[in-house]
Amino acid sequence: MANALGMYRTVKRLGIPDSNIILMLADDASCNPRNKFPARVYADRGRHIELYGDNIEVDYRGYEVTVENFIRVLTGRMDPSVPRSKRLLTDDRSNIFVYMTGHGGNEFLKFQDNEEISAFDIADAFEQMYQKKRYNEIFFMIDTCQANSMYSKLYSPNILATGSSLVGENSYSVRPPIPPNHHPTNPPKYENDNDIGVAVIDSYTHHILSYMEHINKTSHLTMSDLFASYDPSKINSHPGVRTDLFNRPLSQTRITDFFGGVSQVEVRPPPASPNEHQHQHQQDQEHAPLPRRAGPPTPESADVTRTSVRREVRAWGAVTILAALIGWAGTRK
Amino acid sequence: MQAGWLVRLLLGSFLLVPTLGYSQLEQFDEELTIKSLRDGKVFSKFSFTTILKGASPRDPRNLGTDDVSQHYIVFPLALGQILREYAVTELHLSLNAGKWNYDRWGYPEEPGVGTGAELWTWMGDSTQSSINERWRGLRNALAGLFCASLGSLDEQRTTSPARSFLPEGHLPDWGIPHQIRHASLPSENVCTENLTPFLKLLPCKSLSGIASLLNPHRLFDADWHGMSVHVLWRENRGVEIRLTFQTISDPLRLSSGRKQDWSFRTLFDRTIEKTCPVAQSSRVVVTLPTSVAYAIEPEPSSVVLGLASFDISNSIKPLDIGLRFAGDFQYPVDFDAPLTSLSVQRILHGSSQAYGQLSVKLTNHQAEPLRVVYLETMPWLIQFYLHTLKIHIDGMRNDNAMSEVTYIPAVPHARPATFQCVLSIPSGATMDLSMDVAKSFLRYTEHPPDAQRGWDLPPAVFTLIEANQTSPLNTNRRLYTPTLLVDLATPDFSMPYNVIIFTCSLIAFLFGSVFNLLTRKFVVVRIDPDKKNE
Repeated sequence: MANALGMYRTVKRLGIPDSNIILMLADDASCNPRNKFPARVYADRGRHIELYGDNIEVDYRGYEVTVENFIRVLTGRMDPSVPRSKRLLTDDRSNIFVYMTGHGGNEFLKFQDNEEISAFDIADAFEQMYQKKRYNEIFFMIDTCQANSMYSKLYSPNILATGSSLVGENSYSVRPPIPPNHHPTNPPKYENDNDIGVAVIDSYTHHILSYMEHINKTSHLTMSDLFASYDPSKINSHPGVRTDLFNRPLSQTRITDFFGGVSQVEVRPPPASPNEHQHQHQQDQEHAPLPRRAGPPTPESADVTRTSVRREVRAWGAVTILAALIGWAGTRK
Repeated sequence: MQAGWLVRLLLGSFLLVPTLGYSQLEQFDEELTIKSLRDGKVFSKFSFTTILKGASPRDPRNLGTDDVSQHYIVFPLALGQILREYAVTELHLSLNAGKWNYDRWGYPEEPGVGTGAELWTWMGDSTQSSINERWRGLRNALAGLFCASLGSLDEQRTTSPARSFLPEGHLPDWGIPHQIRHASLPSENVCTENLTPFLKLLPCKSLSGIASLLNPHRLFDADWHGMSVHVLWRENRGVEIRLTFQTISDPLRLSSGRKQDWSFRTLFDRTIEKTCPVAQSSRVVVTLPTSVAYAIEPEPSSVVLGLASFDISNSIKPLDIGLRFAGDFQYPVDFDAPLTSLSVQRILHGSSQAYGQLSVKLTNHQAEPLRVVYLETMPWLIQFYLHTLKIHIDGMRNDNAMSEVTYIPAVPHARPATFQCVLSIPSGATMDLSMDVAKSFLRYTEHPPDAQRGWDLPPAVFTLIEANQTSPLNTNRRLYTPTLLVDLATPDFSMPYNVIIFTCSLIAFLFGSVFNLLTRKFVVVRIDPDKKNE
């Protein structure tokens, strides 16, 4: 749980308000009677950072965290009675950051220990979002065992994906440093907090969060900086990145494009007339840098018509050849 | 352009008239009540009341037309919009965690102490949109507002117990009947995410006034805590929203010297730094102990009938009210003696996964006979066998103690059972009520993800009827029993996989054998003995 809460806290700190965040927590760990520190979830063993805080809004909790609800949130197909705070009200100018964590495997992620979501489901949900123009760009981050397989099936444009471990690798919890005389083939797997009794956070997310602690809203650090900071020896697995569906170069994509709610302000010289003044005020309201729109689609449509004509010609040709063969076979004795 | 300013003046006056018409007076009061209990614990109750004077709930017959504009100053807009959207007359929502011990702590100041989430409303009937549709919309809207899973309070948990849950305020006289909808979710957790929107409904949020003491890290450490939202209408006052938070804290646990002392610092880890500027009255009321020596600081503004009142706006800030006792805490000999006139215990007997027995034990501690309304809203998982209902008073069978029975049987997969009756218990007597129940066998998709834990059953509600009354008044006390956990038969969830594997293997064997029998030709090969010798 500290994984998701750490991301939530980072994203809030960098400026995204609760109304723009959907947090789904399947377990109630912080107010559980067995938690020695009530209403608290810590990010690390030393209990330096408390993640639950005083001001948290969880939109889906407990039994409401299901594959069906997750896909409904992404695609927007919901019952009319579902309240606004549980809906993903995005349009084609919104950048979405999707973070998933839990137990998973090769092309699946487990929900509630009871059902699974597969990489194909996520890919299809993103495609539905693309068709309905529900996003401008998506940054998909996943921290589970064999996480890189979860984004292998995505096929919609403008998606940047990163995962914590390769296929065949597990993603472990934070490890204490290995002492020099320790046997290397049998390392301790989890860092337990002895007072709480369970592992507190996973290595990959811990690395991302500690990297993010150095970033504030004005940071110009880019995604390529973030990915360059990946260190498989510290994370104990090989994180991966998928950039083939993403149109912008990573060195020009800022981390705050996805993690922060930064307003773009253009300072222009004072206007000459009142009409110009109004126009400038409208521009100040935009929240994310606008990438350039794709070019006009006419060359694509020409290609499309050409291929379809070719297909029709092929089909009819095959039919005539078949008819000729049958006729020839029929007339032979 | 000469006419321009005239037009603007006319427009301005048109806009001014409606706002003058709707300039309602709003009043916000906050109060904190603290009481030291007999067993060393401290009961604190935060109460934030906003009154919208002269307002009335929305008539559900006007739901098809546009509503008048709602302009609020201190009244919470988020909740006000929900109330107008679904034309709610009275609403009570409570989110509690823990078990309220009536014997040790007495009656709570807000009666709704059932564990988990409990939501009940009185709404007017209308043909525009039915009560059930509005109930559904209201549940989901409140679920979104309070970050709770109230959306799952569907018709499988909703009942209409009109005799036990009487409206606390008045019901408007529109000529249409009002109906109650009640649902409870005993397995709901309460945590900081429920407190955050609660604080956002207050005009001063948690920045100043008494609400700045609401520290989730200490509140959710309490032995019992519950928050509730009450919306009601009183004819001479208007619409009232009351937000309350009650806790039972344990200073003995935190002090090493067995001291019952408490202060804002030890209870809430906070002090009051500023007064809420929009609060008309902001006070702390402390119940002073009667039998031991104590010291209270700072000096209260007034002491009336053993209650010390502090006026926050006139006190020195930062304000940290504390009560110090002279000696160590000693458990009184009778610390477990009942403080209420009725003690209830409800148990589900039986070790079988098909049948059980529900048994309720009531003890009347007062000197007069007692009449209570017993309400049981049981989900359809547990089916009652009403003909096996037996009542024993002090060991002797007496089925006449039960009267005015209302029973709406459960419909499997659709509706819970509602059982209401009036029980008469003689003074000082113990009544044992027992009934056989059947446990259902669920469809395998209906099990929750952690099916082996069991299902939580909502608490039973006992409404005391005052002497000389025939039915409860809305000022009567309500008692909640603790929730029960029932273990239903769970299937082997790995069976679908096993069945598929087994069936496929069987088909493979059968097909293989039949195919071989049909297509394989067995030929006898004759080996020539002459050729063999060569």
